Amino acid sequence: MPHLAVEDLRASYGALEVLRGISFSVEKGELVALVGPSGSGKSTVLRVLMALNPPSSGRVQIDDISIDYGKSGSVRAARDRMAVVFQQYNLFQNMNVMDNVTLAPRKIKKWPVAEVEENARALLAKVGLTDKHDAYPDELSGGQQQRVAIARALALKPEILLLDEVTSALDPELVNEVLDTIGELAADGMTMILVSHEMGFVREVASRVIMMDAGEIIETGTPAELFDAPKSQRAKQFFSKVLRH
Amino acid sequence: MNYTFQYGVVWRDFDVLIDGALLTFQLGVMSFWGGALIGLFCAAVKTYGQRVFGILVDFYVVFITNTPALIQIYFLYFGLPEIGIRWSGELCVVIGLTLNAGAYLTLIMRAGFLSVRRTELEAAETIGMSRLQQIRFVIVPHIAKTIYPALANFFIVILVMGTSIGAIIGVDELTGQAINLSTVNYRWLEYFTIAALMYVVLTFIASIGLALLGRWAFRVKAKVF
Ligand SMILES: Nc1ncnc2c1ncn2[C@@H]1O[C@H](COP(=O)(O)OP(=O)(O)OP(=O)(O)O)[C@@H](O)[C@H]1O
Ligand SMILES: [Mg+2]
Repeated sequence: MPHLAVEDLRASYGALEVLRGISFSVEKGELVALVGPSGSGKSTVLRVLMALNPPSSGRVQIDDISIDYGKSGSVRAARDRMAVVFQQYNLFQNMNVMDNVTLAPRKIKKWPVAEVEENARALLAKVGLTDKHDAYPDELSGGQQQRVAIARALALKPEILLLDEVTSALDPELVNEVLDTIGELAADGMTMILVSHEMGFVREVASRVIMMDAGEIIETGTPAELFDAPKSQRAKQFFSKVLRH
Repeated sequence: MNYTFQYGVVWRDFDVLIDGALLTFQLGVMSFWGGALIGLFCAAVKTYGQRVFGILVDFYVVFITNTPALIQIYFLYFGLPEIGIRWSGELCVVIGLTLNAGAYLTLIMRAGFLSVRRTELEAAETIGMSRLQQIRFVIVPHIAKTIYPALANFFIVILVMGTSIGAIIGVDELTGQAINLSTVNYRWLEYFTIAALMYVVLTFIASIGLALLGRWAFRVKAKVF
């Protein structure tokens, strides 16, 4: 049984259907990359999974739990198991790094404080921010903020981490530090869905690539299969553009 | 022009004026915090509540902000006894000013609700925060920080202009005490210069207190002047 199974997922913004029957699955420990042209619906997939947008139909299953996005208990279960980091830095501006990372485990999960703080220190060390516990988001670079955001997401001990173009708002010289962090997580066996335009990085770390266009999945395969020998015309066009440089 | 200032009498009554100033301070603080709670609640209702309740909030805000605070307090003090509700002058001032502040603070805080970054709220949502937790952990600190100057200014308005209305219905706050004392020995100029100075000192203390609170709690780089 796959860790995450998505079946015939549909979602709309008003009259515009932006997900038109998406099906894929993710195995435990796998890093699946979601690629495709702008507006193809990649972010919407992650937003629906995290219950930020309602699906109009379809099934989402995590292990043997079927998620009903109309029910708050079920939404909570989804958010317990998955965590997301978006492109725009969305740290809490009024809290320092440590509080950003520990707020949810302490105040919402009500886990023991000592344990939460120890875990947070370990996570911040992992993302290379040991010396920034007391800094506020506006005192950090974009890359540092994204690494805090990853630590904050991991502090809730999710089983699946969703990353939506976490490097695309960064200056080029800051991209690598964030990609390194993601690479380490992948090596640790974290299950991840990664939306990214960094094709070189995707080729390196993804076990599978899913290419989307206009709300549909066009092609799925290993990075080598898709990048070097895409089958469909649309995939050929897309990869010839994004892989050229 | 042969008025001779006689501050001696006034010094004798200094402690009475100090009592008045203390009452002024209490009335101002209570009304402001009461109003802040109402403002927060109403702004939340307008942002997240059903439309009907939003419209009720609009009525409240429009009604209060378009009538003088003096009339509102008169209504409580002279109007309510007609239907059997008799409150002390102090209580009428606190309730009247609280309702008054609540309406203005609804407007101020609503701006705060609307200016929170959507991405920050979505992050809060995905890490499992309920609406109330989002308000408490994300929106309130954001409001406190971004509209701090507006809030601090409004506190001064309530403290100085609001509370002095009490004098008219016999509340012995600072203005009231100055009037009481002057009517005994007619040293109006002396009492009122001292009272005015006390207002300045009160405002000064309040500003420093607010600036320190802002720096300590919300990292606001608030200036005292
Ligand atoms: N808030 C919104 N309101 C209306 N339409 C939206 C909204 N957000 C996205 N859309 C539309 O939904 C479609 C899918 O958008 P989505 O953000 O999922 O694409 P994406 O693949 O993530 O694109 P990008 O690579 O540019 O981030 C697009 O056509 C977009 O215009
Ligand atoms: Mg996107």
